[in-house]
Amino acid sequence: MMIENRGALYQSRRGVGGASCQDWKPPRQRGPRSCTRQGSGAPAPGSGATIFALSSGQGRCGIAVIRTSGPSSGHALRSLTAPRDLPPARSACLRLLSHPRSGEPLDHALVLWFPGPQSFTGEDCAEFHVHGGPAVVSGVLQALETEAQRRQALRQLDGELGHLCHGWAKTLTKALAHVEAYIDFGEDDNLEEGVLEQADSQVRELELALSAHLRDARRGQRLRSGAHVVVAGPPNAGKSSLVNLLSRKPVSIVSPEPGTTRDVLETPVDLAGFPALLSDTAGLREGVGPVEQEGVRRARERLEQADLILAVLDASDLASPSSCNFLDTVVVRPGAGSPRENSQRLLLVLNKSDLLPRGGPDPRPDLPPHLLLSCLTGEGLNGLLEALRKELAEVCGDPSTGPPLLTRVRHQHHLQGCLDALGHYKQTKDLALAAEALRLARGHLGRITGGGGTEEVLDIIFRDFCVGK
Amino acid sequence: MFSLRGCGLCVAASLSKKRLPLARLIGDSAAPVAANFDVVVIGGGHAGTEAAAAAARCGSRTLLLTHRVDTIGQMSCNPSFGGIGKGHLMREVDALDGLCSRICDQSGVHYKVLNRRKGPAVWGLRAQIDRKLYKQNMQKEILNTPLLTVQEGAVEDLILTEPEPEHTGKCRVSGVVLAGGSTVHAESVVLTTGTFLRGVIVIGLETHPAGRLGDQPSIGLAQTLEKLGFVVGRLKTGTPPRIAKESVNFSILNKQTPDNPSIPFSFINETVWIKPEDQLPCYLTHTNPRVDEIVLENLHLNSHIKETTRGPRYCPSIESKVLRFPNRLHQVWLEPEGMDSDLIYPQGLSVTLPAELQEKMITCIKGLEKAKMIQPGYGVQYDYLDPRQITPSLETHLVQRLFFAGQINGTTGYEEAAAQGVIAGINASLRVKRKPPFVVSRTEGYIGVLIDDLTTLGTNEPYRMFTSRAEFRLSLRPDNADSRLTFRGYKEVGCVSQQRYERASWMKSSLEEGISVLKSIEFSSSKWKKLIPEASISIGKSLPLRALDVLKYEEVDMKLLAKAIPEPLKKYIECRELAERLKIEATYESVLFYQQQQINEVQQDEALQLPKDLDYLTLRDVSLSYEVREKLHFSRPETIGAASRIPGVTPAAIINLLRFVKTTQQRQMAMNALPKTDQSLCDTESLEERQL
Repeated sequence: MMIENRGALYQSRRGVGGASCQDWKPPRQRGPRSCTRQGSGAPAPGSGATIFALSSGQGRCGIAVIRTSGPSSGHALRSLTAPRDLPPARSACLRLLSHPRSGEPLDHALVLWFPGPQSFTGEDCAEFHVHGGPAVVSGVLQALETEAQRRQALRQLDGELGHLCHGWAKTLTKALAHVEAYIDFGEDDNLEEGVLEQADSQVRELELALSAHLRDARRGQRLRSGAHVVVAGPPNAGKSSLVNLLSRKPVSIVSPEPGTTRDVLETPVDLAGFPALLSDTAGLREGVGPVEQEGVRRARERLEQADLILAVLDASDLASPSSCNFLDTVVVRPGAGSPRENSQRLLLVLNKSDLLPRGGPDPRPDLPPHLLLSCLTGEGLNGLLEALRKELAEVCGDPSTGPPLLTRVRHQHHLQGCLDALGHYKQTKDLALAAEALRLARGHLGRITGGGGTEEVLDIIFRDFCVGK
Repeated sequence: MFSLRGCGLCVAASLSKKRLPLARLIGDSAAPVAANFDVVVIGGGHAGTEAAAAAARCGSRTLLLTHRVDTIGQMSCNPSFGGIGKGHLMREVDALDGLCSRICDQSGVHYKVLNRRKGPAVWGLRAQIDRKLYKQNMQKEILNTPLLTVQEGAVEDLILTEPEPEHTGKCRVSGVVLAGGSTVHAESVVLTTGTFLRGVIVIGLETHPAGRLGDQPSIGLAQTLEKLGFVVGRLKTGTPPRIAKESVNFSILNKQTPDNPSIPFSFINETVWIKPEDQLPCYLTHTNPRVDEIVLENLHLNSHIKETTRGPRYCPSIESKVLRFPNRLHQVWLEPEGMDSDLIYPQGLSVTLPAELQEKMITCIKGLEKAKMIQPGYGVQYDYLDPRQITPSLETHLVQRLFFAGQINGTTGYEEAAAQGVIAGINASLRVKRKPPFVVSRTEGYIGVLIDDLTTLGTNEPYRMFTSRAEFRLSLRPDNADSRLTFRGYKEVGCVSQQRYERASWMKSSLEEGISVLKSIEFSSSKWKKLIPEASISIGKSLPLRALDVLKYEEVDMKLLAKAIPEPLKKYIECRELAERLKIEATYESVLFYQQQQINEVQQDEALQLPKDLDYLTLRDVSLSYEVREKLHFSRPETIGAASRIPGVTPAAIINLLRFVKTTQQRQMAMNALPKTDQSLCDTESLEERQL
């Protein structure tokens, strides 16, 4: 139905997911563990596929670097910089990047060409240093995502996931065909009773299957891009020290001054074997200056999005108002009870255990389960890591069991789009609108499985119904 | 043997056996008798009449050539017009000032809009038509069209000359040779020959050439086309028997009454010619197991069914229904053929059994126990020309200034034929004036969907319009065909009358004004609830609701809104059509926004024109596989969008073509310094801001 984006003829090693900004890092930077997970079912490097991704950080930045690696890199570079030829090897050149399809200018960028094997991956590589606004970056990434890539993804969409998607696509196409038949033939020809009801129930079942699957998918997503672990607590509980301890490098400026961290700092870490995005947040407290207030607001926002909260309290200061307030509002949410909403998980850490009397009793036996830690001495760190491993295994899902996990952002995006569209189907009484929702839903699935065009729909109509005159 | 006259599925099938005097000129009496015309249209069926009238409306001196003037406007198959998808086409034909909708408003005997409960985007305007009245009214219209001359005669051959070098094509048509040997010079020729190309009528095991004694000329033309290298295919279709009205026992059957009030087909009509209470009913009956038995026992006597000629995937005949969906009761609609007609048309009973068996089959159906068959059903097999050989303006790739419209392109149905006729007539005229062609995109109308499907995909079954074929169904509605096409027709082509243009302009500005007024009226949901207690507005909503939002509720219409808020809404209910269209716009408002984005995306691809004179087979600068080259060579897509819809043309090929088009365009742009028209995709503005 819609015309697919056709940029450079270009393929991704992990299929369509390669188009995602978070999807790819140069192979050498990737830990072996995650590589195994990512690489399942995909051809080995050097087998002829080409991958690309944003390799600098996400979001607004001065310059963003997009890298490609693989035999089609030269082709991609040429198609984005047409009509100019490849720049000289390993030297930065200013080029106008244009969309290969529309010719629309995307950005003036520095481009570099690294013919293999003298490149960071050993394959042909290209780098695009573009102006880092999200619009430019997504424009260039979209230009790189291609029909050929989509097809590649379709070929790779085998195994259980492929089976599932094709099954859903089939069900949805049939439901769509039946609704279309009801529109085009319902009155003049005798369609069997209950055509619409049958389509309705198929759509309902599909919704259930998709939403269950997407819940799983989110776990897979976390495994790939990292679970969001947020360190939170009242000011000066030692959050930044904990972050520094866990990431083994100074991310946060630590000082005994409360309110030192005024924004959210993020760092990707390997936590107990799981990839995680560790966020340090401003201490939660009221009545401070506007800058810190903003930090507090962001901290609360980040807490909402966290998969796992590391709640840090000063073990020597548990009776203070800020500690009590934190315990009441974050650790034990009023009315929320336990388990926490949204399957969000929480570990309570009492820091500065070195300040407690040695071998003394638990400072607050009435607290929820908690761990004692001293960021200063490192005491209790092993216990914390073990607890983290257990929690993260839950959050990320165990990769070795369970239904196939969706790890491709793009698939997840379209499955979610499909699910949303199915939601609209139910709400509308106008059958043309309802059918439009199904068409939209099928279009989303079509981006994963292909098919679902008019002829396929007509084939089903004429196969299932005796219509025509 | 029953007479087949007057029931042929095509002009040629019922054409005269006599050689008629050549110079019998009828029509625009002021025009000089001449053998020189701008546009010559061959065939007076649904495509031919629309083509001839459209060319004349565009200001071209036009000649309509038909075997017999008294068959002009003949409805040779079903006695109805419109339906779901087909009604959409009729509204678009009307928006371009075509004839069939207006004629139907003067000739119907039972007007009924289908799909009333399914949403206005898929309403199917439909009517049972009085065959005799339709023919009369159509002939009156055609014979009184300025610049249009009608002449009886059979076309034997085309006159071909050297091609114009600036266009593709191996030769150019410059006129036609008539049966008597005389010639008519023409700047453009439109061929609307229906099923006449080697048409064969089949009943049981008997076959008859469709044109019989009069068919010599048609064979000459068919041979010419074949010699020119046109790829020919074969299709089959059929028609049911006709039954004597007085022999049917209607009293035991389900009666269907027409709509009250009747909704006219044409934008320029407020009402139809006949009051609802004077209209005729239709009746519904069903087949039964006995019908199945008769069909199955006699398959050996049914050569139409045995033949390998490809029929459609849908079930056109009772035989295909019985074979593919056994043990079911199939609907048979008993439709009137006209006000004073003695015949009933049993829709759904198309059959090619030997005549005696047809009568036997009919009489075992409820209500038809004593039915008298006046004329048997029969099948027709005919040649069509692969429509991938024509451009979206319906001109052939092979022969310059030769246009095809109607069944010759593999379609079925009056409406499909009429739609092509209008476009062929307009473009035949534009071609003479050396103006760019008038092409309707599939984002603009069902006409565009029809022609794009035919010219890019071809067809191997009689192509019929369904709304499921239209991607942008919510935008291409029967109610808004005028806003999609009338302005284009008026400004680009001149095929639309001043009166229609003014009406469409008034409607457009009233709609725009009405929508902005409806957007400006805002109240809280509780206030709305008080104002319109009938509406199921949930009071919990905190945001204020616009009147346009309230109008989206199924149970709310403009009348209800205007009752609650007389000022300023009162004036929008004075015109029924305006009030209804405001309601429809409100219903689809939110979705149309997104659909428009999709339409823009497609239009970007359509804006990327492929040069017409590309020789894909030898093109050097583009890397294409031989298979792709052949496909492109055959279909000759005009845009990247059309190329991308051709099955088998790979994405890689599209990219290579794109690069080619882009460099060509850049070269042109550098020469003409034209402004770039297709600003596209994402974030253009933000990009421009960021330019170094």
